[in-house]
Amino acid sequence: MQQPQQVVSGHGVNLFQDTQNALGLYLHIPFCFHKCHYCDFYSIVDSATRHEDRQQHFTDALISELLTANDKSPLKVRTIFVGGGTPTLLQPKFWHQIFQTLHKIVDFSSLDEFTVEANPETVTDELMRLFAQNGVNRISIGAQSFDQSLLKVLERWHDPQNVSKAMNIARNAGIRYINLDMIFAIPSQTMDRLNADLDAVLDLQPDHISDYSLIFEPNTPLTQKRNMGLIQPIKEDIERDMFEHVITRLSQAGYDHYEISNWAKKTQANQDLPVWGNRCLHNLLYWHNANWLGFGPSAASHMNGHRWKNLPHLGKYIEGSPIPPTIDHEYLKQHDRIGEQLMMLLRLREGVSTAWIKKHIPDSDVRHQTIKELRDINMLEIRDNYLRLTDQGLFVGDAVIARLL
Amino acid sequence: MKIRNFCIIAHIDHGKSTLADRLLASTGAVTKREEREQTLDSMDLERERGITIKASSVSVMHHYEGEDYMLNFIDTPGHVDFHYEVSRALQACEGAILVVDSAQGVEAQTVANAYLAIESDLEMIPVINKIDLPGARPEEIALETEQVLGLPADECIFTSAKTGAGITELLDAICARLPDPSPRKSGDEAPKSDDEKTRALIFDAKYDDYRGVVVYFRLFGGKLKVGDKIRMMGTKRGFAVGELGKFKPKMTRQKEPMLAGEVGYMVASIKTLADVNIGDTITLDNDPAECALPGYQEPHPMVFCDFYPSGETQFDDLREAVTKLHINDASFTYQPTNSEALGSGFRCGFLGMLHMDIIQERLEREGNVSLVQTAPTVTYEIEQRDGTVFEITNPADLPDPSLIKEIREPMITAEIITPNKSIGDLMKLCDQRRGEYKKQQYLSETRQILDYELPLAETIYDFYDKLKSITSGYGTMDYQLNGFRRDNLVKMDILVNGTRVDALSVIVHRDKAEYRGRVLLKRLKQEIDRHLFEIPLQAAIGGKIIARETIKSVGKNVTAKCYGGDVTRKRKLLEKQKKGKERMKRVGTVDIPQEAFMAVLDTGE
Repeated sequence: MQQPQQVVSGHGVNLFQDTQNALGLYLHIPFCFHKCHYCDFYSIVDSATRHEDRQQHFTDALISELLTANDKSPLKVRTIFVGGGTPTLLQPKFWHQIFQTLHKIVDFSSLDEFTVEANPETVTDELMRLFAQNGVNRISIGAQSFDQSLLKVLERWHDPQNVSKAMNIARNAGIRYINLDMIFAIPSQTMDRLNADLDAVLDLQPDHISDYSLIFEPNTPLTQKRNMGLIQPIKEDIERDMFEHVITRLSQAGYDHYEISNWAKKTQANQDLPVWGNRCLHNLLYWHNANWLGFGPSAASHMNGHRWKNLPHLGKYIEGSPIPPTIDHEYLKQHDRIGEQLMMLLRLREGVSTAWIKKHIPDSDVRHQTIKELRDINMLEIRDNYLRLTDQGLFVGDAVIARLL
Repeated sequence: MKIRNFCIIAHIDHGKSTLADRLLASTGAVTKREEREQTLDSMDLERERGITIKASSVSVMHHYEGEDYMLNFIDTPGHVDFHYEVSRALQACEGAILVVDSAQGVEAQTVANAYLAIESDLEMIPVINKIDLPGARPEEIALETEQVLGLPADECIFTSAKTGAGITELLDAICARLPDPSPRKSGDEAPKSDDEKTRALIFDAKYDDYRGVVVYFRLFGGKLKVGDKIRMMGTKRGFAVGELGKFKPKMTRQKEPMLAGEVGYMVASIKTLADVNIGDTITLDNDPAECALPGYQEPHPMVFCDFYPSGETQFDDLREAVTKLHINDASFTYQPTNSEALGSGFRCGFLGMLHMDIIQERLEREGNVSLVQTAPTVTYEIEQRDGTVFEITNPADLPDPSLIKEIREPMITAEIITPNKSIGDLMKLCDQRRGEYKKQQYLSETRQILDYELPLAETIYDFYDKLKSITSGYGTMDYQLNGFRRDNLVKMDILVNGTRVDALSVIVHRDKAEYRGRVLLKRLKQEIDRHLFEIPLQAAIGGKIIARETIKSVGKNVTAKCYGGDVTRKRKLLEKQKKGKERMKRVGTVDIPQEAFMAVLDTGE
């Protein structure tokens, strides 16, 4: 097989010349038909047919909130990301209303990426065409695993066969980029079963893969089961081996490991793609600490160092419309902001440029010493004028980054 | 008006403070409304721990057989660590009330304190207290008192501080049985002429934010009045008396001169407690006595540890906290120290372990500092081959082994009172701690007194806890220091990631070194978190490694997702990881938690 020729995509290029003006929008759709047992995102179990009123009230409130961001001229937005919950659970008529609003307040000519998260069971031709017509160019499908019994452990109720069907429907409707979300280190998973999952995902050749190791978040049924001894988490050293294996296989298959858990299919010279290639621009925007506004219950926002979050409560969200109650306001001191920025940038495999470090970290900052120590023990390295996690440091990235906060 | 100066001595928890409160209430010194539990324990920490750290005094009036008596009651601390302060308080009295719990009976500190009182020639009134308790056996305990301490059983007064039973009888007995104040103490070698001179014994001192140092004294002879120029006979320092008064029990000023036999306080523009030596004698500058009152000696700290700043605390913050506390409490010693591993800190000396705990807690609480404390050690006497002899209080200061002729360690004589059935296990414990059996004596049919000579170092950490657990809480212990003894002692060094951590060095018996080394490293392995690299742990004597362990590196620690842009949450999760390291000390590249420094005390039993 011919190796795809790699084009420098994003590395070393300042994607957000001016992070203050690079605006992203995040919309949170808080509905699911069933809570997956590992998930700690805010959502409520809903059935579109039974709870049409609730979907209408939510849509009204979301639209009102979006309109509060309306300026005299349309917003110059680089990315829009609709997450959840299960955004595709929202009925097409409500989508229609939301798109209308977005077109009213956003200047779509500067929009580079518009992603919607989808559950494989809910991807319909009608919805995908509606999406494509309205500027959605990226779909993120929650596949998680192609192994029925592992899906059962996660309490994911979809037929793995439907993932490829959903991809076809989306592509035929004109959606350009497709991401598959995967999870590894699921209790009872073995190396063989991990390989089978990787075979399946590579067979489908998505443009982008997010492969997360399973995290036991507090207050999730999965964590409760673990605490009760009903399920055994994968042992630490095996989890590490699995992660290493995922990295190796995806790289061999032509995917660029550009962030701890994210891979983009390498682009070829003749492809007409932006500099960031198949990477997710919206996530890059987070990692570069650009500005974004969040809408919907629990959505987080960041504007010029100010962070806040909408209250994760649908009732209060609707009640408070058009200005929902917010929590966790924060404006960090310079020292802490640098730490936070390092935390974000070091998640990228390219890391953080030495020029940035020189510019932002004062000579007196103890972080210089910490960085030296971390380089001495081979957790960090400098490559092409970028400070980054070493292949070894990657596995303990949180512990490394925590030292720099 | 007649004067009676007395103190109350007891084993801890035998009801000393409650009895004192009851005496105050009965003499009308404290009204019902003012009555708080344990009036004499004023410091919060004292109240919380239920013990008295510093002695206080109270003057009350009692009418007996047509005459007024001023009763000066001098309180004493109730813990073995504060022996020195107990003996100072006893020096200021002619009499002592010995309180014994009517259910518990005679305990180790009952014996120790009674002997102290006997040595000071005090008249004693034995009191069998808590007779209201269901398990009370007053007659039996009175016999026990007679048998063990030689105080006639028929002289015992039965009281209940709780109900008030026997309290009037006790007050009358104080007036009737205790002697008038004398101008001189037993063993006093002062010339006769000094009886007329002003001589006041300092038995306590406290620091007050507004007044400076408040000195508690007992006037043996002469007079003292406001404006007098005084001289401390030990330190030779001079002051002017600015205020005089008594505790009734509130601080009450008096304009009249203080007369011989009286007990009171004075304020004399003294800035720090370090300027006052408990036990010193005050005399008049223009008409001084010839001889000081006898018996003064410096309290000798026996237990030492280092405090180092940790977390956000800087050395300067720690220095401020230590010096400030020392103004309030001169009972501990401190000097700056420097550890290769831990940087700058203070080496502090204490009267005992409880005393150390109190100081550490007060530093953190009142000085608002975060500390790392090293394991306590004792003083060692080193004799070098060239004949020089000196003391070290820190194992890290031990000279090169080739220069050492012998190492001597401080010994204690421990008196343990225990139920018969625990004798076997207790003897085993003492043997494990290199104890030497001295004698055994029946206290009653069910209890015995066991005497052992033990190395102090073997008893400073968990010995008392072990004793309590072996005897189901019934065993009690008291101790006296008893010189130094040579033994086969060596210094064991600990290397963390190849670096010798001087604060973890420990002096151990050669025969126990390997075992202690293994136990210590196992504990360190539990206490030190896994790092981003493998950490070898080694125990060494001289250049020889005698035990080793390895702490594996962290395998995986990276959260996959970024919480949908909820950066704050992500950061807080990581900050938690970082926060955990705050009470730690960084040695080279290894973060060592406070608990690890105490690991050297684990005997592995």
